[in-house]
Parts: sequence; structure tokens; C-alpha cells
Amino acid sequence: MIIVLAVLIVGGIVWLLRNRARPGSAERRRAAPPGAEPQVPAELSVGAPIPEELWPLGRVEVSGLTKEYGGVTVVDDVSFTAEPGRVTGLLGPNGAGKTTTLRMLLGLVAPSGGVARIGRSRYGEIERPVLTVGALLEASGAHEGRTGRDHLRVLCRAAGLPLARADEVLGAVGLARVGGRLVRGYSLGMRQRLGVAAALVGDPQVLILDEPGNGLDPAGIRWTRDLLRALAASGRTVLVSSHQLAEVEQLADDLVVIAAGRVVASGTLESVIGAHAGLEEAFLELTAGRGEIR
Amino acid sequence: MSAAAEVPASRVAGSRVAVSARLVRAEVMKIRTTRAWWLFVGGFAALTALAALFGWASHHAELYPPSDLTNEADALAQAAADRTPAGAAALAASMMTSGQALLVLVTLLLGVHVVTSEYAARTMTSTFLVTPRRELVIGAKLVTAAAFGVGLWAIATVVDGVVTPVFLAAQHLPGAALGSSEVMRAVVMGLLAYVLWALFGLGLGAVLRNPVVAAVAAIAIYAGGFVVAELVAHLLNYAFHASWLLGLAVLAPAEASNVMIASGRAFQGAPPWWAGALVLVAYGVVLAGLGVAVIRRQDVS
Repeated sequence: MIIVLAVLIVGGIVWLLRNRARPGSAERRRAAPPGAEPQVPAELSVGAPIPEELWPLGRVEVSGLTKEYGGVTVVDDVSFTAEPGRVTGLLGPNGAGKTTTLRMLLGLVAPSGGVARIGRSRYGEIERPVLTVGALLEASGAHEGRTGRDHLRVLCRAAGLPLARADEVLGAVGLARVGGRLVRGYSLGMRQRLGVAAALVGDPQVLILDEPGNGLDPAGIRWTRDLLRALAASGRTVLVSSHQLAEVEQLADDLVVIAAGRVVASGTLESVIGAHAGLEEAFLELTAGRGEIR
Repeated sequence: MSAAAEVPASRVAGSRVAVSARLVRAEVMKIRTTRAWWLFVGGFAALTALAALFGWASHHAELYPPSDLTNEADALAQAAADRTPAGAAALAASMMTSGQALLVLVTLLLGVHVVTSEYAARTMTSTFLVTPRRELVIGAKLVTAAAFGVGLWAIATVVDGVVTPVFLAAQHLPGAALGSSEVMRAVVMGLLAYVLWALFGLGLGAVLRNPVVAAVAAIAIYAGGFVVAELVAHLLNYAFHASWLLGLAVLAPAEASNVMIASGRAFQGAPPWWAGALVLVAYGVVLAGLGVAVIRRQDVS
């Protein structure tokens, strides 16, 4: 009995010390109360401009990417480039193969054919890819039972970055006040911001984001757009997938439209719209009969 | 920290050792920053204390048998044998490894957790984005699981190391029993068992991915392995009348662990301890290798 008691007492003391040592831990288990949506920081922190001689290192080149799952071709010979200093929108109906294409580009899914390069290397060949490429795939991608700050600290540690970088990027995306809370209590918008923070943690030259606008309120969408525009303006390469046409029309310089796994149009925003009344008309005609609704 | 300054650095090959070291630290951090830390370490410490308590009670009952037993003579003979130096050493060894057969299950589950939690929480994506060289990630997980095996063993050894001398004194057994080679052997073999089961769990988790499925499979292999192995070995023995066939039970991982840990023969026809160690190492290596092969190739979506 004495031993059990001793263990319980020692455990309790350690527990208390741990909680004391972490500011904000008391509120960690509480879900985000309504209205606790973080304030959008007024200033955008995008890092120093990329000198023009280094731009080629940030060029994304996808050539002939193909992916088959059990005889079904979900991505079919997709080729395009995303240029430094520009925002490239990857546009397509749901299920067009946008996410699979991005996952192949990031080395998470092995292509059945073709190759994707960032600079001169495949993603898997880059030694510390976090310093070159920042990616946002599904919202946050964080463990529900971990705090937002700890999620970023784990990334910093694995990438060999100082842990203080976690707080810097938390501040940059307006999550500084809720960094000590469990991700479980985050709204979808907060999760997206945490995902953006994770993408920015290595101050990368290339940003690849899958549906970053998902679940954001109008202020959040505006903030994301301004951030991505500022990143491109600083010489970084920004590749964004989306099916929200109005958002893409305001954001992208170049477009790649894919439908049913194939590229149906690519070029500058103006050239893709061409003679159509607007992006919506162009998109609907380009993807006619190839979306989910037939 | 401009990207411009960092880009050339990113192309310089970091030494494998340096990368692996920081990945191990990241893996430890992953466990430290979730509830798993308290579940595993706290739960383990509590279980160890309970096991020591239970060991104390059962050995006490053995040393001082109640007088109304039908086999009173046997019980008294056993109590007398326990008082000999060899008997005391065996008791000390047993107390120093109290509940080990149950406790290694915790390291097995921890090994399972280290890899399956990443799939369940969908954090494998960000893990592989940071480190696309997946073999390094798995290597770090193996080292982390093994390190936690050592850590849990250390907790058990410290708890038992405090309890056992008190037990020996309270039961009027010679304290020198604690210094016997048998105790040493039991504790060292225990360390090997904690590490090997952690690796076993990790390999199993990598192959099965789903935390619930993998945990159930781990427990089934651990507990069910005894039953199946005994059954098959005995059937073979009955069929061919060769007692060495009973030794084949060592091929079940749980029996292998048992053979490795036991002082003397674990069961009739059991092979020597190193055979158990070899079998368990083989399982750990094969499962971990299989896990590496699976994880390296599998798409993460």
C-alpha cells in the first residue's frame, strides 16, 4: 500500500510541476469558446525576399505524372509548371486528382509514371525539405491530443530548427494566444492557420497548399489571399489547389485546370479565361461532363 | 533566417547520425506531448508497484503456509527450500522481476503505439514531409521504442530494487541473496525482454497500421501464443513420442520470452535461454524489417 501511495504522490507532484511550468495549460482542455477566433495579425510575415539568382531553385515542374489505383487512372499524364514569384492555381472539380497530384509532388504517394521536381530535385532528394518547401495538405494534420505549439515544436525538432521558431510562426498566423490549447478544441479556421504555420516553419521558398481557404471566414480568406500574394511577391513559388473560383480569380497569376485526372487548360489567368465572360464560364465549359455531377 | 541563406544549407547532406539523433528526440517529444506519456509511464509505474505487492503477498504465503492445507507436508518442504541460499536467491530474483510477464505487455503496446498513433492521428503526412527518407523515420522510431523499453525496465528495477531488500529483511531471509548471480541474470534478461518486445510491437504496428487491430493482435499473440504453442508442441509429442518436440513451443514469441527470462528450464523439454533470445530477436528483426518495407513503399494519403 505504501508503495502505491508513494507512486501516486510522486506522480501527482510531477503532474503539478508540469502544469505549473507551462503557461496556459489550465485552459488547454477547454474547447474554444465562441468568439475566441484568433485576431488576424495586421502584419504579414513572409521572410526576406528571394534573390533572383536563386529563383530557379523554387521552380516546380511536373511532367507526365500518372497514378493508377487498381486499374483506375486517377491522375493521367499531368504536366505543368509553377513559376517563382507567381501564384499558380490548381483548379478542378472534386475528385479531379488535385490532391493526389500534390501528394505525388511531395513524395507521399508514389507515381505510377512521370516525375515531379522542385528546383532540380525530387522532393525525396532534398536534404532538409522543410527549409525549401512548405506544404499544407489536410487541415492542420496535427494530433488532436497535442497542443498547437507542441505540434509545431515537434516539426521544428525533427527539422533541426530552434524550438522558438514554433512561437514565431504561431504569432505570424494569429494563433499565439491559443498555442497552448489542444488541437481538439480548435475550430476549422484555427486548424487551417495551424497548417499554414506548419508550412511556414522553415521559411521555405516554395509553398504548396491544398484548399487553404476551406473553412475560413471572410476575414480569414482575405488574410490567406494577402499572405500568399505577399509570398509570391517576395520571389517565392506558390502553388494552391482550390475549387473556389472567385477566390482563385482574385489570387492566381497562372492556372492549371484539371478534370478527371487530365490537364484541360493551363496558362495565365487571362489566357485560360480567354474569350469567356469570366473564370466561372471558362471553368464550367472546360470541365463539362468531367466533374462529379454529370 | 531568410530562405535565401537557408537554401544552400538545405542541399548539404546532414550526417545520418545527426539527422537520426534529432529524429529520435522528435519521436520522444511526440510521446511526451500527448496523454500517452502518462498512460504508459504512470500506468506502468502503478502496475509495477501492484506487481511487487502481489509478489510480496504470494511469497509470504509460500514462506508461511497456513496449517489447514491438505498437502501441508509439501508446503512446508517448499518453505524450507526457500530458506536455503539457493531458494532465497530464487525468491530475490522473482521479487526483482515481479510481474514481468505482464509488464512487458506495456512495452509491447508502447511499440505498437509509436507507429500506429501516427496513422490514427493522420500525422504521418507531416512526419514524412519533414523527413522524406522514411527509413530514417522508422529507424528513429525503433531507437525510441527500444529506449522506452529500457526506461520502463529501469522504473521496474528501481521499484523492485526498493521493495526486495525490505521484503528479504521482513521475511528474515539473508540480504546477500540480492547479490546472487541468479538475480543479476534475471534483471539483465528482463532488460532484453523489455527492449525486444518494444521492437516487436513496433514492427507489428507498422504492418497492421490500425492501433486497435494492432493492439488486439499484440495481446492475442502474446497471450494466445502460449496456448497455441503448448497445444501444438504437445500434439506433436504425442504423435511422435519425442520429448524434444516439446521444445518447439519456443517458436511462439511469448514462450521464447519465457524461455529467455526463466532461470533454469521454463518448461519440460525447453531449450536453453539463448534459444529463446534468438527466437525473440528473430521475430523483432523480421517484423521491424517487414514494417520498414511496408512503410517505405506505402502511399500516405
